[in-house]
Amino acid sequence: MGFEQVKDGNATVVKDNSENEIKPALSRAKPQAPDRVSDGVVGIEAEQLAVLRARDFWASLALLLLSLFFLWRTSLIPLWGENRAGVQGGDWYNSAALVPLGIFSALLVLSLVLMRIAVTAGGAKRALSSVGIGWNRTEALRFTTISVVLFFYIAGLVPRVDFVIGSGLLITALIYGYHGGHPRRMIVAAGVVALAGGYAMMMHLPRAEWRLHDDDWLTLALWLGLTLWVLILGRGDPVARAIPAIALVAPLVLVCAMAFGFRQNVPNRGGLIFKTIEYHYYVTLKPLWSRT
Amino acid sequence: MEFVFSQLAGFGGAFAALVADPWTYVYLVTSVFLGITIGALPGLTATLAVTILTGFFGNKIPLDYSLIALLGAYVGAIYGGSYPSILLNIPGTAASAATAMDGHPLAKAGRGGEALGLTTTASFIGTLIGTAALLIFVWVLLLVSKNIASPEKALLALFGILLSGTLMSEDLVIKGWIAGLIGLAMAMVGMDPLLSEPRYTFGWSYMLSGFQVVPVLMGAFAVPQIIEGLRHIEVGKIVALQGRILPNLATVRRHMPTITRSGVIGTGIGALPGVGEDVAGWVSYGVGKTVSKDGKNFGKGSLEGLLSSETANNACIGGALIPLLVLGIPGSPPAAALMGAFKINNIIPGPTIDPNIILRVVAIMVLASLTMWILGLFTARVFIKILRIPQTVFLPVVMVLTAIGSFSVGGGINDLYLMLGVGFVAYFMNLMKYPIAPLVIGVILGGLFDETFRRSLFLADGSLAGFVSRPGAATLLSLNIALITAQFPAMRRIFARLRRKET
Repeated sequence: MGFEQVKDGNATVVKDNSENEIKPALSRAKPQAPDRVSDGVVGIEAEQLAVLRARDFWASLALLLLSLFFLWRTSLIPLWGENRAGVQGGDWYNSAALVPLGIFSALLVLSLVLMRIAVTAGGAKRALSSVGIGWNRTEALRFTTISVVLFFYIAGLVPRVDFVIGSGLLITALIYGYHGGHPRRMIVAAGVVALAGGYAMMMHLPRAEWRLHDDDWLTLALWLGLTLWVLILGRGDPVARAIPAIALVAPLVLVCAMAFGFRQNVPNRGGLIFKTIEYHYYVTLKPLWSRT
Repeated sequence: MEFVFSQLAGFGGAFAALVADPWTYVYLVTSVFLGITIGALPGLTATLAVTILTGFFGNKIPLDYSLIALLGAYVGAIYGGSYPSILLNIPGTAASAATAMDGHPLAKAGRGGEALGLTTTASFIGTLIGTAALLIFVWVLLLVSKNIASPEKALLALFGILLSGTLMSEDLVIKGWIAGLIGLAMAMVGMDPLLSEPRYTFGWSYMLSGFQVVPVLMGAFAVPQIIEGLRHIEVGKIVALQGRILPNLATVRRHMPTITRSGVIGTGIGALPGVGEDVAGWVSYGVGKTVSKDGKNFGKGSLEGLLSSETANNACIGGALIPLLVLGIPGSPPAAALMGAFKINNIIPGPTIDPNIILRVVAIMVLASLTMWILGLFTARVFIKILRIPQTVFLPVVMVLTAIGSFSVGGGINDLYLMLGVGFVAYFMNLMKYPIAPLVIGVILGGLFDETFRRSLFLADGSLAGFVSRPGAATLLSLNIALITAQFPAMRRIFARLRRKET
């Protein structure tokens, strides 16, 4: 899947042979010697600051609208001790609107200050161009696909599909999609999770239908299919070989530890696999040590 | 003197109780191991370690055990960051950035084992120094707690949010304040604490109980890291470990002045609210470079340089717990996550906290640092193997952990929606250089601020006099005003002029 380990004297070099890689973010975390400031670095920093101020402009606008909206919502909370069903409410200083009023007023003021800073620094001028706000197509694709995967996992799979199956698909899709940084794999990963999650959401939207199992079967089929695809594609790659084990063991251990170790609620107790585990835990296993 | 003896006796009692309980070791070894693992994986932070364990252990086990798990993970993660710093030249956590300056050249020179051994010992001693300071600072708590009423609580909460916003902001200070205000605004959702008036619920019954802390913590600290970390990275060269890891006692003794100095610096910086382990590491490194005889070799593989940063970042933990436990203001982002764990156990850190809890925290810290030392010295090679795990393999599992942890605390699917929503917002805030910790602190302290501020006004029939007539409140009010006005352009110009005159 894009990685190979090569022995190089004392060191093990983990080489990457993937195409279309996305630039590493960790380079930012590397310590920089303070005396390495050159004209080029200063130029890059100035450009980054200009991009930041363009984004600040949009952020200040969003904050301004948000604070105005919530100030309006706050105005619906009684502030001056109105009568409610003939009962006199509290005084202004005891009103539930007092602190929110202060918070949203402060937010409004700060958003205006931020806007002033952004406009003064030229942020407003750059704000309408994609280059100005630092648009990066590859990064946008990465973020969008991850958002799609996480949304359909949380909103579609976790409530409706067996936790082990849904999480197994998530782990397989995320490792396949993002290990190696191939944009096409990211799209496939997002598509597979969106298909499973979208089906579960569309077919079983109301809570009363969450216990049905057709979405479990579909997700299981997609998980198995993706796993096979990963194994075929990444023949000889240790990461690809490890994916099925990680995807099965991690959610299985976690859900069992949470349900039977910490005795906590877990998502979708009636799921295809967990229902069977729970039945055998209480009917087959637990009597072994509960018998007195 | 009587106070010192009573503190020591209290600590002894708490320590003995912990040592006698076999479950202590189960939680300690597990959490410290997990902490070192997360710290050692580049891209995963100590804040993430504490956050995901809050979801897992936060309120499911007795408070003592949950504190063992969380503090163990905190201590382990800060130390664990030194592995990739030394062997990969990539800091595992921001706290270990300065460690890489000398750690990696040492490893390349075939002294990796020695560097790791000394780092482990220095981290252990550093944690102990910070912990001892925490024990001593309980007297401040006793001093302050007598004079704390609603006005002081309200102003202290506001001060915590403002100060963390001011100090944690990478870009503009107002971004820190905006983050704090967003957190405060989130805390306003639900039934208000005095009149049970529903606020911003939009007719959704889930919102009546307000936003839960754990989903907000998970969303703010874990989800952005997962999104950010799911990218391809060049792992680079892992330098093979050479030499024995067990440190030479004579070498440790020779470097004791450096370790002590760095421990004190780390503790002091940790005690500043909002300043984290990374700053402690760099400041101690800078001081070491100035005062050490070996200063010219800093950055070229100096043991003094290595010990300066690595002792300080672990000493910072004890320091960061001082403002958290004594004043209710987290000293660092992981301490903010820890504050969330306290909150879900119905404990509000600050002047009204039970001093016995602090004694137990001190005892746990001592045991956690000892466990870290033993694990670090004898299982270092296991952690080096972990370094080879790409984060694209580890982070999907973290996502599953986050989801199940967040779900199980509140027991509802709505908490997961909240977590995801906060996560996306926090990711964009990170992109635009807004600090996230003030947001979390705002969510945690918002309810307290609202309640105590209005109660103060209620008791004084709407008069604001209570905020200026009480000495404690007046001091805190002055500090809040000073903190805000110090950022006004006119004031900054005056300060700059004064500074120029001095020089």
